[in-house]
Amino acid sequence: MSTLKNWKIHIAALIIVIICELIGTRKILIGPGVLLFLPMLYAMVLGGILSWPRLKLINLQEMHAASAILGLTTLMLVTKLGLIIGPSIVKLADSGLALSFQELGHFLGTVVLGLPLALFLGLGRESIGATFSIDREPNIAIIAEKYGMDSPEGRGVMSVYICGTLFGAIWLGLLAGYLAALKIFHPYALAMGAGVGSGSMMAAASGGIKAVFPEYANEILMYAGASNLITTIIGIYFCLFVSLPVTERLYKILSPLIGKDKAKGQASGGVAK
Amino acid sequence: MKLIETALVLLIMGVMTIAGNTIGYHFPMTESIIGYMIMMAITLLGIVLAKFIPIKLPMVFWISVIAILATSPISPYAKVITDYTSKVDFLALTTPILAYAGLSIGKDLVVFKKMSWRIVLVALTVYTGTFLCATAIAEVMLRFEGII
Repeated sequence: MSTLKNWKIHIAALIIVIICELIGTRKILIGPGVLLFLPMLYAMVLGGILSWPRLKLINLQEMHAASAILGLTTLMLVTKLGLIIGPSIVKLADSGLALSFQELGHFLGTVVLGLPLALFLGLGRESIGATFSIDREPNIAIIAEKYGMDSPEGRGVMSVYICGTLFGAIWLGLLAGYLAALKIFHPYALAMGAGVGSGSMMAAASGGIKAVFPEYANEILMYAGASNLITTIIGIYFCLFVSLPVTERLYKILSPLIGKDKAKGQASGGVAK
Repeated sequence: MKLIETALVLLIMGVMTIAGNTIGYHFPMTESIIGYMIMMAITLLGIVLAKFIPIKLPMVFWISVIAILATSPISPYAKVITDYTSKVDFLALTTPILAYAGLSIGKDLVVFKKMSWRIVLVALTVYTGTFLCATAIAEVMLRFEGII
């Protein structure tokens, strides 16, 4: 059985988990907030070090196996969150309006900040693929179908996908913990925001919030889980019919103003001289 | 993946989860093992349902439906299930998951080395944007609804 053939990664994962849980959660004060280091963040870093290609400890086939296992294990999180939502399903329905509206923030928030920055940094049509969504697997499929993976849009979506795999959880975990510690937003609002539509990122973000507000632990996981579920299920349709066309349109409007097209105009002007 | 293999993977993950759950969150081991087994059964049931129900909806949907129903007020076993599964800390589940995520990173590093710093910055902004915008809207709406 191939699961047992990959015994090396399971043993590695077990050792990592034990070490990380022994270290436990650590806090570092930075400015007005707190950087929270949760065991899951060390686990990701330690795993990353072990899989560093130059060390040759884990081969490519095992890395792909680890990736497949990852997909399966995130389903356990989905179960856990469902079990937390169950008893308070009525309470959750009370905040249905907030839950529905904040999804707009999830789907359009990627473009609002990402696209202007991408254009400012001189990216071309890569910026469409890069910023139209959080660029997880279902979103890649949308770009692949519409533009093909060899297009600039395809390169954009793949690059952000890889960055997401490498840093997404760590970044959101630290960011959410820091923002929570600033006490600007209510933990419920942060929890809903944490449901970005990726299991590991949501886990890291809600873990950070939960560590700052342990008294709201159950509610935080409930709202984060519900929000993540909505993002995941309607995400693919929303991205296809709203986010992508909106990003295209914004790209057309913004790129002459702040993008490469403007720089190109100046450059060709320079040549003409 | 075959169902038996899926079950095996979840069992292996269970060993790590229970280890972490005991070390890091100090829950009683026997109860958390029962809790984990319940969660595993629900997950497997969801995977099977997603395979056999002809309506095309993601596994995540079916698993959530079963899990929510299992502890919702209409379930006769809601209290027992909640009692046991609450002994498995959410964070104890996340540590093995991110350990596997880390162990799979190597395959992406080669491509990553060729990428420009600009796209890395854009990626972090994309994730910041989705989290921040949703949080801000949620804050406004929750106040509007009088929940917070």
